[in-house]
Amino acid sequence: MTTGVEFLPCIVAFCCVHSAYQAADAAGRMRIPYPENIIVVHIPCAGRVDTLHILRAFENGADGVVILACHEGACHHILGNIMAKERVERANALLREIGVDGRRVEMQTCAPNDGSRFARVCHELEEKIKELGPSPLRKHA
Amino acid sequence: MNKSVLVLGGGIAGVASSLRLAVNGFKVYLVEREPTIGGAALFFCCKATEACNQCSVCLVPEKIAEIKAQPQISLLTNSQVAEISGQVGDFSVRLIQRPRFVDPEKCTACGVCAELCPSQPNKAIYLPSPQALPYAYAIDKNNCLHFNGVECNICSQECPFGAIDFDRSPEKIELSVDAIIIATGFDVFNAKEKGCLGYGRYTNVLTGLDLEMKFSTQGSITLPSSGKAPQNVAFIQCVGSRDVHIGNGYCSQICCKYAMRFAKLLQYQHPETKITIFYMDLQTAGKGFGEFYQQCKETIRFVRGIPVEISEISPDELEVKYEDFIEGKVAKEIFDLVILSVGITPRKDSSNIARILGINLGEWGFFDTQDHLDSTETNVEGIFVAGTCHGPKDIPESIAHGAQAASKVIQTLAARGI
Amino acid sequence: MDEVKIGVFICNCGDTISKSVDLLDIRARLEKLADVALVSIGHDLCSPQAQQAIRKDIIDNGINRVVIAACSPQLYGDALANLVEKAGLNRHLLSVANIREQCSWVHPDKDKATKKAMVQIRMAVDKVRLQDVVEQAEVEVYKDVLVIGGGIVGMEVAIELSNLNLRTTLIEKEANLGGRLKQFAALYPLQVTPEEMLTSRLKQVTGSENIDVLTSAGLKDLSGEVGNFTAKIRKGNKEISRNFGAIILATGYETLFLDKVYGFELGNNIITQSQLEGMLKSPGEIKKIPQSVGFVFDICDEHSRISTLSTLRNALVIKERFGSEVYVLCRNLQVDGAGLEKLYQDVRNKGVIFFKFERFPKILRENGKINIQVEDLSMAREQVMLSCNLLVVEEKVVPHQDFATLESMLNIGLGPRDFYQEDNVHLYPTSSTKSGIFFAGNCHQDLDLGRALTDASNAASEAYQLISSGKMRVEVERVVVDPDKCALCLTCLRFCPHDAIRIDYEKKAAHILDLACQGCGICAAVCPAKAIKFKDWSDDQILAELEVV
Repeated sequence: MTTGVEFLPCIVAFCCVHSAYQAADAAGRMRIPYPENIIVVHIPCAGRVDTLHILRAFENGADGVVILACHEGACHHILGNIMAKERVERANALLREIGVDGRRVEMQTCAPNDGSRFARVCHELEEKIKELGPSPLRKHA
Repeated sequence: MNKSVLVLGGGIAGVASSLRLAVNGFKVYLVEREPTIGGAALFFCCKATEACNQCSVCLVPEKIAEIKAQPQISLLTNSQVAEISGQVGDFSVRLIQRPRFVDPEKCTACGVCAELCPSQPNKAIYLPSPQALPYAYAIDKNNCLHFNGVECNICSQECPFGAIDFDRSPEKIELSVDAIIIATGFDVFNAKEKGCLGYGRYTNVLTGLDLEMKFSTQGSITLPSSGKAPQNVAFIQCVGSRDVHIGNGYCSQICCKYAMRFAKLLQYQHPETKITIFYMDLQTAGKGFGEFYQQCKETIRFVRGIPVEISEISPDELEVKYEDFIEGKVAKEIFDLVILSVGITPRKDSSNIARILGINLGEWGFFDTQDHLDSTETNVEGIFVAGTCHGPKDIPESIAHGAQAASKVIQTLAARGI
Repeated sequence: MDEVKIGVFICNCGDTISKSVDLLDIRARLEKLADVALVSIGHDLCSPQAQQAIRKDIIDNGINRVVIAACSPQLYGDALANLVEKAGLNRHLLSVANIREQCSWVHPDKDKATKKAMVQIRMAVDKVRLQDVVEQAEVEVYKDVLVIGGGIVGMEVAIELSNLNLRTTLIEKEANLGGRLKQFAALYPLQVTPEEMLTSRLKQVTGSENIDVLTSAGLKDLSGEVGNFTAKIRKGNKEISRNFGAIILATGYETLFLDKVYGFELGNNIITQSQLEGMLKSPGEIKKIPQSVGFVFDICDEHSRISTLSTLRNALVIKERFGSEVYVLCRNLQVDGAGLEKLYQDVRNKGVIFFKFERFPKILRENGKINIQVEDLSMAREQVMLSCNLLVVEEKVVPHQDFATLESMLNIGLGPRDFYQEDNVHLYPTSSTKSGIFFAGNCHQDLDLGRALTDASNAASEAYQLISSGKMRVEVERVVVDPDKCALCLTCLRFCPHDAIRIDYEKKAAHILDLACQGCGICAAVCPAKAIKFKDWSDDQILAELEVV
């Protein structure tokens, strides 16, 4: 398939206030660039994200969704990141059931002062979603 | 009239003390030598692998952020104490504040100045850290063209907030406080004092502190000599600690833990890298650390015996000579990277501070307290110590010690009816 | 409800943001939105003058929802919320879009950066449009603290709290205070004895009006939340009910001898550290002074400070009192504490001989003596045969007997090896998952006495700073449950990491405790009926933000 227009994936990143949001700030202060097409949704804890929110993002046309949380064992609310991981897995299964590549949704962790990791995760995610191509749900959005 | 306290040192212990005092209604003057608070640990890196490894470094920016919410804490950065007199309830303090040349009240850290600064190779105007507090730029006089004979005013002209002023001189600040907490922190052992280990001479011999810096800024470590990933790494423990010959007859408490965490981090990034840790006694006590150590044993080789000498065969080949107790002979092994686990030592200026304050130094040069069970009161009533200036501690312990010093201040002043 | 009128205030941070983001374009697009009443671009919203101007704009234009597009809310979030409040609005009716750190500083392409900033601001607008008011209130709380455990640490906590003028109830399950320190034969340095330490602490405890001691007592039940706990304490056959603002656990540890690991039973000349301490405290009990004493540890627990400490201390006492030959066999000496390396050196200087082993030594009872075969690592693994009259073995340090009962009563979580406190750095050093409950001493960590006292002081002042004013600020009903939708499935209650949810039997619905709630939103996410609304991050708000995709 040839396209004249480069595919710019639309990625929704649920960023927990205690880790990823601060890591994004840190990346900013260190002036580390990362892809612009990542929509940051600010959440109080990764555990706040419901499978419903992940699926709605895809329904609305997102090509990829990531939950960025605190490292395992370091969640300010103890089990928020563990619950988020389970929901990502559930979303993955549901997507596969309807014929969408489950790899479009993933879970990542980072520390609040780790700006370079935040940027790295964004770049890798963009590459991955670019390879997977536009989400088949896009035209229904 | 609110009670006020001088906290000397803005590292994690000083920050913890300040927060504890401020929340309880005290006015705090947090005096810090550098342009930002946060101390040594502000520049350390996160050591998570597939999960958090409890290094606690992330607690430092967290606590610093809490300082912002306490208006009773006055931050006096770029400041040092020149003279102290008086007694508990009525100390007179004279500080010298070196100019930052940037007004933290006006600076928004927009960064235009640094973008335009012509200094090479490093910018003369810089943000001390992404988590700096005050979150403002500062000028390093030594690097700055303006202060070295060149007609340059670019940053001050372009600053959208008029925050830069070259015409500042050191200021004297006089304070009157009821109590003092010393939280001046530590120096890392200078590995060059153990010349036989080659630090400063061989390219691929680094210290634990070097690792912290490299991981913080680059996110990974490569061989300084070639830029390649390390294949065979040696950690040498107790460099500068438990060594009466060089005057440090104590355990630095943090090195076994940081070495193992770094080893795990290295292997997480480069699973094929072989790692050997040379030790005397492994300090593995601490919440959950025993379990972490058992995991480490699966992929990391532990050798009892501290190497006596390192020679450089080539920049990538370091020959480490040690006594192999198991075989009963002297052994030599080649590594491409050697990390010296350097310990915590008293600051070089601690004797100066001790003199200004009239407090005693302990056996190893740390600030002395009444006894090791009563670990925050010095020989001068109203002067307390917190953190590593009192002796080696890790981050959570420094926080607890800082809080303890604050609590002792509150109790002492209450008991005296001040 | 009033017509929504949103005011958007964009900061140019001098003139730096407009260099990478087309603010005028954004303003034009925003002004097209029906409920956006005002869009203004300012030079530096952090300046007092600008903030005055914003306040005036809000009031003059009848704005009732505010969006600020500027630098990170981590920097000025609080100040901006205050500003909104001063303009007469509830402080929650504010949403901040971070177009500096998370946009203009990291996206060099102006078109793309502008597009992203527009997305960020749209999301903030969509979110604040649906924002509910959350009132602040000050609640009265009890200024009393419950300390569970009357050992040295519990006493130290109570003394510090008393010095800080808070009333404490100190409960202890034994008939006397003092805990394990009563059993210690000595402290280091030897000049201070455990008896002196305990006596001086006891004097302060009993002499304080602020401390009420209940011995032979235990906690039977706990209800309520931080600031307003109700504890039922059982003492004998009486039940005492009291209210507390905070609770500190100082329940210490116990020791167990693992005969299965060692492969033999204790007997005449093989005793535990505890038994040795008992012997040393009652010298009359020692019928014959042992000529040689062996200490062994690191067999059932390699990572205990307590094994090293009790061995070194007691070895020193034996040398000083009896002059016996003393051998110590272990893997690693835990000397990472103030004064511990010195203690080790003192013990060595007194002539105590140390053997470090890799493989466990072989221990055999023979002819009234203990024979030990150990590899001497400093001599090329040569097998060394030692013989001693008395062998002192280590005990495993375990949580106190009732840890499980107490944990389920308090709902605070366990950490490694079932000691208290989940191993999560954000709880270090003394917090639990539940607001108002703290830990001190060896019930949650492996501590030497110096560290334990620092820990006690920290826990005491944590509790003090929480409740000392007798009031706590609270966000009222930030998380609410719709009783019509709630099926009392108890899912939220089970998942709340902070034990902040209770059942309201009258309303027949779950109920979130305002003081205890730490604002994670996990309950809102797990509720199968979507009966829980977290007002700053409601489902409606998140889904509205996602519309921007």
